[in-house]
Amino acid sequence: MRAHRDLWLACLAAVACALAAALVPWQVVRLLAALPLAFLLPGYAFAAATSGPRRPGLAQRVLLVLLCGLSVLCLGGLVLNFVPGGIRTLSWALLLVLVVFVAAWVAAVRRGDEDRERRVWRISRPRAVDLVVGVLAIAIAAGALVLAYTPLPATRAAGFTSLWMLPARPAAGPAVKVGVISSEQQAERYLLVVHPDPSARPRYFPLTLRPGERRTIRVPVTLAAEGPTRVAAVLHREADPHVPYRHVVTWLPPEVEGG
Amino acid sequence: MVLALCAALGLLLCAYANALSREARDPSQLIYWAGVLLVALPTGIRMGMRDVSLRERLVLIALFGISLYAIKVIRDPFLFTFPDEPIHAYNADRAISQHGLFNENPVLPVTSGYPGLAGATSALMALSGVSSFVAGIFLIGVARLLLVVGLFVLFNRISGSARVAGLGVFFYAGSSNFLYWGVQYSYESLSLPLLVAVLAALAEREAVDTRSIADWTVPIVLGIAAVVITHHLTSYALVVILVALMVGYRIWRTPHPRVWPFAAFALVAAAGWLVVAASSTVGYLGPVLSEAFTSTLHTVSGEAAPRTLFQSSSSSVIGETPWLGRLVTLGAVALVGVGYLLGIRQVWRERRSQPFAAVLAIGATAFFGTLVLRFAPKAWETGNRASEFLFIGVALVVAQGALVLVRRGRRLATRRVAFVLATGVIIVGGAIAGWQWDAQLAQPTRITADGADVESEPIAVARWIGDNLPAAEFAAPDADARMILAPGEANARTGDTLDIKAILEETSLSGWMLPALREHHVGFIVADRRKVATDAVRGTAFTIPGSESHPLLPAEANEKFTAVPLSRVYDGGDIVVFGLKEGP
Repeated sequence: MRAHRDLWLACLAAVACALAAALVPWQVVRLLAALPLAFLLPGYAFAAATSGPRRPGLAQRVLLVLLCGLSVLCLGGLVLNFVPGGIRTLSWALLLVLVVFVAAWVAAVRRGDEDRERRVWRISRPRAVDLVVGVLAIAIAAGALVLAYTPLPATRAAGFTSLWMLPARPAAGPAVKVGVISSEQQAERYLLVVHPDPSARPRYFPLTLRPGERRTIRVPVTLAAEGPTRVAAVLHREADPHVPYRHVVTWLPPEVEGG
Repeated sequence: MVLALCAALGLLLCAYANALSREARDPSQLIYWAGVLLVALPTGIRMGMRDVSLRERLVLIALFGISLYAIKVIRDPFLFTFPDEPIHAYNADRAISQHGLFNENPVLPVTSGYPGLAGATSALMALSGVSSFVAGIFLIGVARLLLVVGLFVLFNRISGSARVAGLGVFFYAGSSNFLYWGVQYSYESLSLPLLVAVLAALAEREAVDTRSIADWTVPIVLGIAAVVITHHLTSYALVVILVALMVGYRIWRTPHPRVWPFAAFALVAAAGWLVVAASSTVGYLGPVLSEAFTSTLHTVSGEAAPRTLFQSSSSSVIGETPWLGRLVTLGAVALVGVGYLLGIRQVWRERRSQPFAAVLAIGATAFFGTLVLRFAPKAWETGNRASEFLFIGVALVVAQGALVLVRRGRRLATRRVAFVLATGVIIVGGAIAGWQWDAQLAQPTRITADGADVESEPIAVARWIGDNLPAAEFAAPDADARMILAPGEANARTGDTLDIKAILEETSLSGWMLPALREHHVGFIVADRRKVATDAVRGTAFTIPGSESHPLLPAEANEKFTAVPLSRVYDGGDIVVFGLKEGP
């Protein structure tokens, strides 16, 4: 294999990408490593193995790399489904590295001693004007993506507020979690009224939430001696304090198992 | 590089149009279509020119395919909103969380039996930790690249001309599903490029010397296997094409490497997979195909009224296709027809004894037959989906016809201008035919308010469910259910399953409703007053008050659930979530 520089490089790159994907904590780096490991290297090695000593044309090589690469991904998932441990980071990394190594070995064997001046990728030197135009094109395309990925104001869109309530974990006694999430267009003032049980006094929570803010409150509840306990919460807006804006109800069983 | 600059400018225009739409400003779509044309036309025309090296043509093909794909990515940058996307994203999320495939899908169960897409997506998700959305974008982008390269290689080998091949790829972009439907994160978006690549590999195999024939065997077998486990209809289409090639070779007695082993393998694999892993396919496809057949018969015989063109079956459509858009679309069909007539003569004259060319030409002819299906109300979808496969042949034949138009002779300049205009009409007309007019641009699903990002109501409730009730089962309208699948990563059923649509829309609670849901372990109902919630294309956006876009069901549709003491666990205004475990 020593004479087959491209195959060596593919194997080394596969190992490096697998290690980066499996061990590095930063997602961006993992993604940059995972992309060639998933989409390029197995296909390249497979294409080399199937071509053997033959050198297909450029279009055929690109076709083989992509076809074999995507096929390996589709079928690889199926293989891992039946492997102990299943689909995980380590199993995918090992599988893809194994595919690259085996395919590269087959390619080397099939190529034999024929060597690789033909494997050199020659990239012609671009003209200065092409460089400038190319950089400009990349910048504009990047600008298009930035514009697309930037959330924009839509003042005509109707904002809303959500109120929710679920049983809380009973670690510190029976209770409910009451949450308010603002998806409004501007800051709003609210009054949250929680009725922990029919016999208790309601509890009042004035809130001010900006768009995107949320508040979760844990409200202890005294459970009824028999039967479920009804807990209700009503959200009023300061602008309209007499009209219930949102309301939620939940029933806690005599023994709360958590939520 | 100038072409790359044109493509980039086109993308910027598309992004700008979508940005205005996300701001709910209702912009003119002319900006958007100008962007599409700027992306497609300069590159496409250069691809079809005479004096272009193979390397440059390949680069242009890649630029063409990826930049047109980027238009869809730009439309939906935050999450999947196309109808099938959340369904498949759910499968990929489950593959990661359950460490395996074949997990049940509550909205489209048949997808569980075709895990190729979920498996391939899980590779990038597992290796990098990205979401199914990010991984899916990359995967479908690579698949799109494979499609255009595969088409180029296939057309080049059949026609013997890189110029025809470049034009063929260009004209394939005029297919109604090329711009949007064919690049949604869905299993067919992966399987169709694999099918094309398999055909290209087979065509290449024909052309090599006998010592090298075996070199193509492994890629072809791999590709066939990948198609079989990825999508049902594509695998059946592949079988049909391979069998047709086999028959063609026997008829014309053309010297060729044997195709029948691959046809046999594809047939056995597809049938075996259907029996062993995907038996629900029969129950899924059977009614669709039989309804399409029956509907077509009724329409042809006059028993049923034909479908009106440019009408959506959804009641949520707010903007019908304007007359100019309809004119362009019909013009595109006519121009494709003219290109077909010009090209089929060339194909017949020069390549009728080549089985590959003959099979594709037959497919091209059949395409015009499927246009009739668009007049049958329940066959429209079948005709639209079939066109993706048949348009492969159309693209090749029209490319041959286009060469007739631009060959040297009198009034060449005029003919070239006509050619450019015609190709623009075909590209835009195909895109209009394949996607609802009022949904071409993005709707506001995530906006900024007072410096913070907020999401629309269906997305907000889906995320809340994912954070608080991930293991529960939900009954919800179509759009909400899909958001619950992804990004909520929870289970939701919808539509006619368990009569959920009827239950949600009725204004009074009947005795059978809640027991029917409880019997199937549904724990929560997502009651959504927005009528658009039943529209999987339009139902995920913010409500725009005062517009005609979002009428509401009567308040009783939601409030009927308060007639019994159910938990009311979430109240977002139009969307309320009720727990089905009763109180006292």
